[in-house]
Amino acid sequence: MELPPLTMEQLSQLVASNAPPSQLFEALSRYELQACLIATGSNGLTAGADDSTLLSMFYSSFFLVHLLTDQVSEARALTKRIPEALLQYDPSLQNCLTLLRAVWQTQHAQVYQVLRGLPWPDALQPLIRRYESFFQDKTLIAVSRSYEAIRLATAAVHLGLDEQLAEKEDPNVILNFTKCGWAWDSESKLLYPKPIVVSPTEPQSSNGIRKAMAMLGTRAC
Amino acid sequence: MTLLSDIISASAHLHSSNHLPSDEYDRRIRELVEYFRRLQTTKALESFANDESFLDRFDPAIDSIPFLFVLRVQIQKVQEQNADLFPADIRPSGKLWTRAAHFLASFDGVQVRYAGREWRLLVELVGQASQAASTASRLVSNISWPLLGATLVKDAMLRLDPSGAVFTSSHLLLVRLCLQAKAYSCALPVLNKQICHFPISLGRPSSEPSVLCADHGSSVSFMTEASEVSSKISYRDYLQYFLYGGMVYMALKEWRKALHFLGIVISMPTTSSVSLIMVEAYKKWVLVGLLEKGKLCPPPSITTPHVVKVYQSLARPYIILAHTFERGDLKKLNAEIDAAMGVWSADKNLGLVAQVVAVFFSQTVIKLGKTFAALTMADLSKQVSPSPVCAEVTGPAVSSLIMSRALNATLVQTKDHAESSMLRFSSIHSLPRLSHELDLQSQLKQEMKLMETLVINLGETNNNLGLSDEYVDSLHKGQVWSGSSEVNPTGGETGLEMDEDLMGDMS
Repeated sequence: MELPPLTMEQLSQLVASNAPPSQLFEALSRYELQACLIATGSNGLTAGADDSTLLSMFYSSFFLVHLLTDQVSEARALTKRIPEALLQYDPSLQNCLTLLRAVWQTQHAQVYQVLRGLPWPDALQPLIRRYESFFQDKTLIAVSRSYEAIRLATAAVHLGLDEQLAEKEDPNVILNFTKCGWAWDSESKLLYPKPIVVSPTEPQSSNGIRKAMAMLGTRAC
Repeated sequence: MTLLSDIISASAHLHSSNHLPSDEYDRRIRELVEYFRRLQTTKALESFANDESFLDRFDPAIDSIPFLFVLRVQIQKVQEQNADLFPADIRPSGKLWTRAAHFLASFDGVQVRYAGREWRLLVELVGQASQAASTASRLVSNISWPLLGATLVKDAMLRLDPSGAVFTSSHLLLVRLCLQAKAYSCALPVLNKQICHFPISLGRPSSEPSVLCADHGSSVSFMTEASEVSSKISYRDYLQYFLYGGMVYMALKEWRKALHFLGIVISMPTTSSVSLIMVEAYKKWVLVGLLEKGKLCPPPSITTPHVVKVYQSLARPYIILAHTFERGDLKKLNAEIDAAMGVWSADKNLGLVAQVVAVFFSQTVIKLGKTFAALTMADLSKQVSPSPVCAEVTGPAVSSLIMSRALNATLVQTKDHAESSMLRFSSIHSLPRLSHELDLQSQLKQEMKLMETLVINLGETNNNLGLSDEYVDSLHKGQVWSGSSEVNPTGGETGLEMDEDLMGDMS
């Protein structure tokens, strides 16, 4: 089937759609060839300011979809395929690089800070929100398997919750964990996680993890 | 005009035959391909060499043969006119490039089995044109032209042979393009397939050609030497494919798969000299072994001893590095790395060596798990580093290792911040049984799929060996031998009789 031309409208529609991450990845992979041609002006037009906006939007979206499909190494490789001039001066792509660094170094607090604190274009917001949710779910599963006992504040940092409220043992923060079947001991002031099992046959997608959450009848945050 | 009508009618004749029995359909496609080859030889097709509208009349998904032949003629004409192998029309986004891209993304896989040579030449041209564009534009931009070629080559390969079971020259082209484009996952749909065959010559020249359009259990039935879907493959191509494939997996940090691919290269049977590609693969094998297993992995058991000796002498700095890593002394490890910096750099293995240092911490912690059941963070910090490292630094690093599943252990925090967390290697808090069973189930499913593929391809190999000249000759000899055994008074088993006869021949 012929691919519709890569335009801002087409891209915004795709990004805002609720399509599964794997489908988004497939669609954007096919558009990378067009993006490549636009970047060199080989699409018959000279690359102008509009093209730079389109390319910035495309590469930022594609980068986020890589993360959403848990392909961190390939996301890093993508940053090497982005036209250098664009990568160096585009604020959105610079944000992507900061995000990549935080994800690569597994600095959870930094990841949430980049996602929530940096100025992302409105058109990218649906993907930013999806990735935040995906990252939170993924981290929740990892923490549940990695800790036998964890302080509320440490768990809150991993999950991007308010650390100060956690220090004060805020019931709403505690509820986020007890909903998942974790036990809270008010005497020892520790959480006792219940390991979350995800079927390995399911691809590591937010969809799969959400299903696992739904099976448990719980969902963090 | 007459020729055009002839072509349209010949092509239409084929459209009406796809409901026919496969042998009849086979005959008609062969006739059509022969027809176009004749037109090409007599240069009759050249009348369409500059006719841009010709290809508009044909849909490559239905009329793959006419489209492919005329496109090839148009490409050749442009190359002749420009005295350049890759003029602008052929380079990415050029007129003919766009036509080729359209064809490779939509051709009929069955029809193209009959025009393997023309298909291969087009695939090679697309790949090489994207490489040429990349070379030309390297100075002005980092645009990933090879990505355009890689995507088209990959799609075309999987369209022709979805099983990917036959190794062809396109395999090497694809992996090379993916490495150049830094588009590693683009190679995975092909790299992850099990290669079971080389294109072979089927039967004796006099025998009837097989019905290529029929449903074959394995693609080796139609990806034959005669079909020319692959150019001649040398052992060097084979080695390079697995080395490059290993490099793709390394870039994606899939160390286990990288080791598998490198293992294929370093265990390649040789009689005398060892290829430099094998030596290069061995150097990477040592580093990837450290990254995956934290130790110097011995080469696969099938590697011949004299080859292992060559590796050990030519990759000495790597082996010294591995031994230092195994001894667990970070200071010495850093000293060894600094001392041989020129070697890593010349071998283009600096990146891997840097990662070896990065995994030193995790491998040391994993080794501690073999001695201790549990450790406090403070004790762990003392164990992993000679210099006093603050437990607050070690804590997040260990937590990150466990959460990424690089370390099979759990953490126990205490109420008191000042009190050090506990790292438990043998945990009572192991994942529920269900998790292990799910893992096992998934592995079994994968193994089952792999076995199914292997069984189908083994059957096909067995069948092809049964039809080979060598087998028929040996069968013939066997019959002669068994005939002579009739007069052998000793009788006994067939195998033993053959041995006796062989000895008899020698005398």
